Amino acid sequence: MKGLIKNNLSAVYANAKVFSVFLLLSGAFTVAVISQSLLIGYVLSGIIGFSVCAIFATKNEFTSKWGKYKLTLPVKRSDIIKSLFLNLIIWLLIGTIFAAVGVSLSWLFHGCPFDYPIDILSMFVLGISISLFTGAIFFPCFCFSGAEKGEVFLIISLLGAFCIDLIILSITNDLLPKLLAPGIAVVFSGNAILLLSSLLALALSYPLTISLFCRREY
Amino acid sequence: MNNILELHQVCKAFPKQKNMKSAFTLDHVSFSLPYGAILGFVGENGAGKTTTIGCILNTIVNKEGTIKLFGRQMRDADTDLRERIGVVYDSDNFPSYWTPTKLSQIMQGFYKTWDASLFQSYLDRFKLPAGLKIKHYSRGMSMKLAIAAAISHHPQLLILDEATSGLDPVMRDEMLDVFLEFVQEEDHSILLSSHITSDLEKIADYIVFIHDGKIILTASKNDLVYNYAVMRLKESQFQALDPDDILAFRKRDLQIDVLVSNGKEAAGKYKDVVIDHTSIDEIMLLLIKGEQV
Repeated sequence: MKGLIKNNLSAVYANAKVFSVFLLLSGAFTVAVISQSLLIGYVLSGIIGFSVCAIFATKNEFTSKWGKYKLTLPVKRSDIIKSLFLNLIIWLLIGTIFAAVGVSLSWLFHGCPFDYPIDILSMFVLGISISLFTGAIFFPCFCFSGAEKGEVFLIISLLGAFCIDLIILSITNDLLPKLLAPGIAVVFSGNAILLLSSLLALALSYPLTISLFCRREY
Repeated sequence: MNNILELHQVCKAFPKQKNMKSAFTLDHVSFSLPYGAILGFVGENGAGKTTTIGCILNTIVNKEGTIKLFGRQMRDADTDLRERIGVVYDSDNFPSYWTPTKLSQIMQGFYKTWDASLFQSYLDRFKLPAGLKIKHYSRGMSMKLAIAAAISHHPQLLILDEATSGLDPVMRDEMLDVFLEFVQEEDHSILLSSHITSDLEKIADYIVFIHDGKIILTASKNDLVYNYAVMRLKESQFQALDPDDILAFRKRDLQIDVLVSNGKEAAGKYKDVVIDHTSIDEIMLLLIKGEQV
């Protein structure tokens, strides 16, 4: 498992390095100017960007013979999948840290950038949820179809994740105000539903991906 | 005799793909590799060598038959068996953005028995720069690196899929020396798939010929080199042959080449015929391109 994690981190590292430079530059600009929409863009791109880097590296791993070679190493196929999911979560955390630093600096210099502080939480939950849904859709599709169609499935997964989040948000925005008293509880419950549903999707995707990968031939 | 690897009636069928005349099938493949031996797995491109290796290593999962490694069937969970195997594929074994130093660090996380100093000694011996990214390596260098990586965790069985193809004769000779050193240990064995038969003539103890997914001949190399022979016959001489003596034959413009399993016996039985010692190359050609009685 240690080898798999090291390998996955190193597979993402080169792309993540370039992406970090982009985030640092855009983060500096975002902190310097007072713009709510720029900050939203920075947070979402930070969180989702690193996750996409992690997912994209999976595709690269399996287009070379290294993907096949890994199967001959003393690791179980289920561990290979476990390491991919772990890798996504690690890079998602890194992206979240980047975004959190940007928002904190902006808050430090200009005060709370939103009308309510809980909106910041909503923004983070949205980014995390999109990332988790993207992974939950991508990994089983990738194992089912093979590495050749990796790019198209990454696009489908990302767009699919956006759509699912929009659907969940519109449902919760409609239903929750009818069930709960208006205020922080509605926002908090909406975030919780979004986060839990994306975590559930990832949890369901994990055994499905293992089952597909265990049947995959290289 | 104990075998490190045994295949018994292994079958694998692939569905017919577009632009293919027929579906490929691995058809009841059986052979075994004893401890301390090198087995050359010979066949033309597309004969089924890589598929067979895939079945052995479980990169191909849905197959029939029995494959035993170290006396056990290897399941996905048997990582202890894979600790004892080193593998080299024909190209792109490792990500191109790695350096050998990175490779060693990562392999340390995979193998309990990874020997970084042994790996370094192979890098020195093969003159491979440890800090240079693999993408800057020549094909020969990357194959040397793959071989160094495959033996640096002290495996007992090396499985090499076309590992010497694409290398120049000097490099191939260097690699063959490494393989011979590896089997000095009596519990070490090598399965070497190749279509470069001259390499196998130098180092293999046993040769298995595969054609169209079927094993067409299994023999010891000494048997092939010292006993197998090719009779050069005229049409009338060919007609007089006992069909049981003919393994394969090929009609040429002026003669018919006939492969026999025992040249001395054939010389005693058939007078006034030319009988030549043969090479593995010629045996392969006769078996694949020739006809059977």
